[in-house]
Amino acid sequence: MFSFELLFEAVVFGLLVGCFYAAISLGLSIAFGLLDVPHIAHAAFLVLAAYMTFLLGSYGLDPLVAAVLIVIPFFFFGVLVYRFYYEAFEKRGADAGVRGIAFFFGIAFLVQVFLSMKFGLDQRTVSAPYIGRSLELGDMRIPWRLIVVLCVAIALTVGLKLYLSKTFQGRAIRAVAQDAWALRIVGANPVLTKQWAFGIATAAAAIGGALLIIVSPVEPSLDRVYIGRTFCVVVLAGLGSMSGTLVAGLILGVIESLVLTMFGASWAPAVAYGLLLLVLAIRPQGLFRQ
Amino acid sequence: MAVKITVQELHAGYGAVQVLHGISIEVRDGETLALLGTNGNGKSTLMKCLIGDVRPNLGQITLEIDGVRLDLAQLSTNQIVDFGISIVPEGRRLFPQLTVEENLQLGAYRKAARAKISENLDYCYDAFSILKEKRHQPAGSMSGGQQQMLAIARALMSSPRILLVDEPSVGLAPIMVSQAIAKIGELKERFGLTVVMAEQNFQEAMRIADRGYVLVHGEIALAAETAAELKNSDLIQQLYLGT
Repeated sequence: MFSFELLFEAVVFGLLVGCFYAAISLGLSIAFGLLDVPHIAHAAFLVLAAYMTFLLGSYGLDPLVAAVLIVIPFFFFGVLVYRFYYEAFEKRGADAGVRGIAFFFGIAFLVQVFLSMKFGLDQRTVSAPYIGRSLELGDMRIPWRLIVVLCVAIALTVGLKLYLSKTFQGRAIRAVAQDAWALRIVGANPVLTKQWAFGIATAAAAIGGALLIIVSPVEPSLDRVYIGRTFCVVVLAGLGSMSGTLVAGLILGVIESLVLTMFGASWAPAVAYGLLLLVLAIRPQGLFRQ
Repeated sequence: MAVKITVQELHAGYGAVQVLHGISIEVRDGETLALLGTNGNGKSTLMKCLIGDVRPNLGQITLEIDGVRLDLAQLSTNQIVDFGISIVPEGRRLFPQLTVEENLQLGAYRKAARAKISENLDYCYDAFSILKEKRHQPAGSMSGGQQQMLAIARALMSSPRILLVDEPSVGLAPIMVSQAIAKIGELKERFGLTVVMAEQNFQEAMRIADRGYVLVHGEIALAAETAAELKNSDLIQQLYLGT
């Protein structure tokens, strides 16, 4: 029953889906990996962005164009969320982490309720020329939508990597969780740096959300499906590494795809949590910790 | 084009614990000023007041820079750095997971330093060849002495007018202390800096200091106008030479 062709196909699809996992995890890699913010509302932000893409799509906009348009409002949304989190928790010091989890859980819940009230519980989709068609390569049919995701994932990873390593603001973002006071003595304000970075993380989530609705239909509670996967990718990567996030996404995608092919679809969702626990037990610093 | 810091009747501390009791000092343009005294007498607290890390309860800290007067007690640390004061902090406070070069690049964060970044980077690599050699390694992987050199170089990357150096000798082997102090003296000449150095190692500090203050229990116990005056004072004999 098991053939080389089947295995090959599973790996190819795993790589493509892995690109998608990487793309939706980049924002979390900044928020949780670089800023130490326990951002468990990240997946809810993805779903929110997917619905905003849907909303703009209903006016006839292509989802990729919609993604570009929602980036700026999401940036400011992220800035506001961080400011609130900072004033209410981080500024007061002790156990910001634990309270922060409760705070972001609440935000995720509010987003879900808002989406249910506004859009109902039905699944929503978008249409675009690359959705529903496939590229035929020999015997394989590769959906165009996954090729679009591949391109966006690589562009986003490279863009963020360059931003974080080549600009003053980017370097400050990578430094802020290591020693906030030391950032002050080089003339940067750590709070504003984190606020700006959280805005960027949320803007990355906006693009991830647009990819989400390009890849599959969305419903308000979809964040549950992705919260484990995104955290798995970020932890596997080693906190805060962008290229590591891409590779970790690919690893998760391929393993999930192989499990799906060999053991059936019902096992696939367990892969992310299994891998997350395994990484935490064996190599908690992740694969690519800088 | 001159800089000057005037500290008047400064009282500061941490919560209920008062550390400084009415300190008045002056930092003059182009000098190397030593803040001396044994541990726990307020040298570091005074440095922290100068860089805006500790807010004074009473008193004034005035920076005059090119004819502009600023009240440092009202400014935050990053604003003070923006006005051209830079610090080599106690404990070095590098970014351990970033590379040596990234630490240096971050040193040039303030707007006025960004234009000179490549010039300053070249100079730092010239002055500290070990940093050039290790520029792609994480800062945290270097030895204590090398990290101290990096902390000094990072402070210089911001093109400061005034360089504060807090306890450069802590945690270093004696040979490294001599090297670090000599380097500070050399860089001061090269950049035309004004240097304020808090140091408990009197002998090492006096190799480059023009004059100094001795702090005892949060007060100025001695203000000496020359290095010779310091060396010959009874207080220094008593504190450091055990007589």
